[in-house]
Amino acid sequence: MTSCPRFAPLLGARPGELSSSEMRALEAHLATCERCRLAAADLAVTDGLVRDGLIQKANARDFAPFVDEVMARIAGAGPARHLPAVAPAARGLRAWLAGHRRAVATALAPVLAAAALIVYVRQQGQRPGQVAMLELASEGDVTMVLQTSDGPVVLLGEERT
Amino acid sequence: MEVDDLSLVSKARTGDPDAFRALVVRFQRKVYAVALGIVKDPDLAWDVAQEAFVRVHQSLATFEGKSAFSTWLFRITTHLAIDTLRKERPTQKEDVDEVREADLEGGGEGILSTALGNDPRANVLRRELAAKIQDALANLSEKHRTILVLREVEGLSYEELAERLGIHKGTVMSRLFHARKNMQAALRRYAGRPARAASEEEEQP
Repeated sequence: MTSCPRFAPLLGARPGELSSSEMRALEAHLATCERCRLAAADLAVTDGLVRDGLIQKANARDFAPFVDEVMARIAGAGPARHLPAVAPAARGLRAWLAGHRRAVATALAPVLAAAALIVYVRQQGQRPGQVAMLELASEGDVTMVLQTSDGPVVLLGEERT
Repeated sequence: MEVDDLSLVSKARTGDPDAFRALVVRFQRKVYAVALGIVKDPDLAWDVAQEAFVRVHQSLATFEGKSAFSTWLFRITTHLAIDTLRKERPTQKEDVDEVREADLEGGGEGILSTALGNDPRANVLRRELAAKIQDALANLSEKHRTILVLREVEGLSYEELAERLGIHKGTVMSRLFHARKNMQAALRRYAGRPARAASEEEEQP
């Protein structure tokens, strides 16, 4: 029937997805076209088969490690095995900082030392009673301990194994 | 009583890892199913599904709650799956969305409804066909797989499909027609081997 190409895409619509005029026209066509009636019947009985099949596959898989692997990836410990590498910027500043602690600590050490010295000198001059001793100490290459009035602030270097 | 998605999202946004774990566990299989339907490969689908949760976690602060959490999650999953597929195989044959008379030829209409509707072993056949879905999907183009998965697994309407895929509603309907037609052709081939004969073969020593 020559009008079938017009109506075939309307088959399989859910309630409310077709306008009332589309519905009326489709019903009129189905009343006279056996091929489209059979196609509609096939669609009706196979509705949901894709969902059932894929969920069946998902249920057959052991998901026990899934959530732990996701959380490890979030923590930056588990890279994608098959996906293209994600740029550091896309993973966020926190993830990047977590992966470059050593470089960050090295770069920040002289800046923080200078800032601490400035704060110490200024506060010594203005409100000496509220200022605690401020010391800068280092262990190894990059581990820094800043002694402030709020207590020690530790900049950790790379963990050594 | 099960905690609703938005409550878990609120807790996850404050840094509660258990809340985010609960969201992962709640949606992991369906997210994997969507990814599997689009990328086909089970291991790649596993990675896509995990990466979708990672991206969601990274963007929790930007989630405004205007749509359901699941809608947002599946949107990210879909885009990630399509991007991953296109990075692996950038050159894809373009499908024609228009429906022509020639597309309706070939016959076979009614075979599935007869087999699944009247046969007393219809449920057995339906389970067998469901088990073949992954193979049948593998023979479809990326566009056809994607639209079928979004329609059936996510349950998107024509309007939602048009918005998600960036195409007109008319294109959604015609593309779905082609996708279903190809899927049904594959299912008819599987259904052509009657469930009864298949089970009798299995029973033989």
